[in-house]
Amino acid sequence: MFAYIIRRVLATVPVMAIVALLVFSLLYIAPGDPATIIAGDQASPADIEHIRVSLGLDRPFLVRFGSWVWDVVHGDLGKSIFTNLPVTHMIAQRIEPTVSLMLITLVLSLALAIPLGVVAAWKQGSWIDRFAMVLSTAGFSVPVFVIGYVLAYVFGLTLEWVPVQGYTPISEGIWPWFQNLIMPSIALGLIYMALIARITRATMLEVLSQDYVRTARAKGVGQRGILFVHALKNAAVPIITIIGIGFAALIGGAVVTESVFAIPGLGRLTVDAILRRDYPVIQGVVLMFSFVYVLVNLGVDLLYTLFDPRIRY
Amino acid sequence: MSTTLPSDYAAAPVLADVLPPAKKRGRVAMFVHRYPTIAIGGALLAVIVAIAILAPYLWTVDPTAIAPAKRTRAPSELYWFGTDMLGRDIYSRVMFGTRVSLAVGFAVAAVSSAVGLFIGLCAGFVRILDTVVMRVMDGLMSIPSILLAIALMALIGASVQNVVIAISIAEIPRVARLVRGVVLSLREHAYVEAAIASGTRVPKIIWRHILPNTLAPLIVQATFICASAMLAEATLSFIGAGTPPTIPSWGNIMSEGRALWQVKPFIVFFPAVFLSLTVLAVNLLGDGLRDALDPRLAKRI
Repeated sequence: MFAYIIRRVLATVPVMAIVALLVFSLLYIAPGDPATIIAGDQASPADIEHIRVSLGLDRPFLVRFGSWVWDVVHGDLGKSIFTNLPVTHMIAQRIEPTVSLMLITLVLSLALAIPLGVVAAWKQGSWIDRFAMVLSTAGFSVPVFVIGYVLAYVFGLTLEWVPVQGYTPISEGIWPWFQNLIMPSIALGLIYMALIARITRATMLEVLSQDYVRTARAKGVGQRGILFVHALKNAAVPIITIIGIGFAALIGGAVVTESVFAIPGLGRLTVDAILRRDYPVIQGVVLMFSFVYVLVNLGVDLLYTLFDPRIRY
Repeated sequence: MSTTLPSDYAAAPVLADVLPPAKKRGRVAMFVHRYPTIAIGGALLAVIVAIAILAPYLWTVDPTAIAPAKRTRAPSELYWFGTDMLGRDIYSRVMFGTRVSLAVGFAVAAVSSAVGLFIGLCAGFVRILDTVVMRVMDGLMSIPSILLAIALMALIGASVQNVVIAISIAEIPRVARLVRGVVLSLREHAYVEAAIASGTRVPKIIWRHILPNTLAPLIVQATFICASAMLAEATLSFIGAGTPPTIPSWGNIMSEGRALWQVKPFIVFFPAVFLSLTVLAVNLLGDGLRDALDPRLAKRI
């Protein structure tokens, strides 16, 4: 068990190395001179030269990659062209709202989507099953920011149940913090819920037709016991796999949701960086989120062994 | 030769129809009955494609014509969807925006399917390439696709063509993985082994045996890629990293309406409805195609 965990953790190192190499080489994929493109149309030759030096573009590719990796390993993601602050510093300033948003979304989505999927599978063909399927198709089709605007308009502007936009740090009280984040979380979570509910329903349908479920029923286990203990535990592996894979949609959606609800998180940082053509910040945020995504999926892989002891590599 | 029946022969009485005669359905009705999701999705998509093609003839005006005196008018008989903050007619902008969305969706689906198919076939057939290529694909898939597209757009600059490239790069690994998986499992089949044993060359094996079997899952995948590409284009444009603001696209209209959404929600509302309906149509089509082309997959998801 311990050896397996060590091996699995070590296996993420090459993946992260490839991700780093890809994120780094994006600069070179673009046709033409990256410094000129980043500087934009109105830049003076001095601006371009400044960007070229600050990004290290005057040095050869491998030398630059080597020193960049060295810096990243030491927690240095370079400096912003616009504010001249270290990128890690800027990320640290903006990380709380984003982590809060994602945590609430994650908890909310799991708490709603898994029971919905289980019940939909149990009552296959009923109105609740149809509702779950319609909801999940809609969740895949309506963009996150549209759901966000509708929720903000209905519950914020019209009903005035929650603040329309903005963010309150958790240090100023849990309730205001939660009130500000509940609508963004629902907007962001809908596609995630759709994904999880669909997989839960499909896997549960398969598991519920297995012999051991019939056996459990025959020996007198109650319906709830069958659904949530016998069946759900055996359906867990595909469900947590999709939770891990779907996390990418959560990361991408957070960038947009923060713009809609004016949450000063990493998403806002990214959008501002796009408008300011601040490439080092974009690169830093992309790299950080990719590492988070790899780590989430590492966690998912380790959870497999918890739910299904048969899995060993 | 004819046989005459005896006159006292008790013929069975003519029975009334026990079952009502089967309803005669036309071909179209039959298809709709069998594949309702394909029919609904396809019909909706056909309407939207028609809008894209016929945009100049649908009582639209120049979607880029600025009229500062008439800005942010609410929807009315004259301005069906209202006007934006520069006085441009939102109805016309939404109608013309259909073109950008569909073009990006179809182009990304085509480009990423073609490139992904090629990479997947190479990885499936050339063992030396397999490890390297698939590691790179895994790495690409570890970067959340919207962020990858944002980073690329920041580097290659705003244009419709670049939006297609940026979104395609994020989608290619998914196709490559799918194709490689199909190739590897097909190679184990007896008929492929037989073809190899009888000396068929690799290109012919690919053409005759592998491609036809890859086509069904590839088409389904391409449909879903088309849907997610349209969402991605709108998202990129919405945050200012997509289609250049001079071109009316649904994402751009919503992006421009952002500042005013509390007082003039209709600016965001109309393109949002069109975008959602279009993506829904393509998703329904994809669901239907998946169920129709591969009944085994229908149960899984």
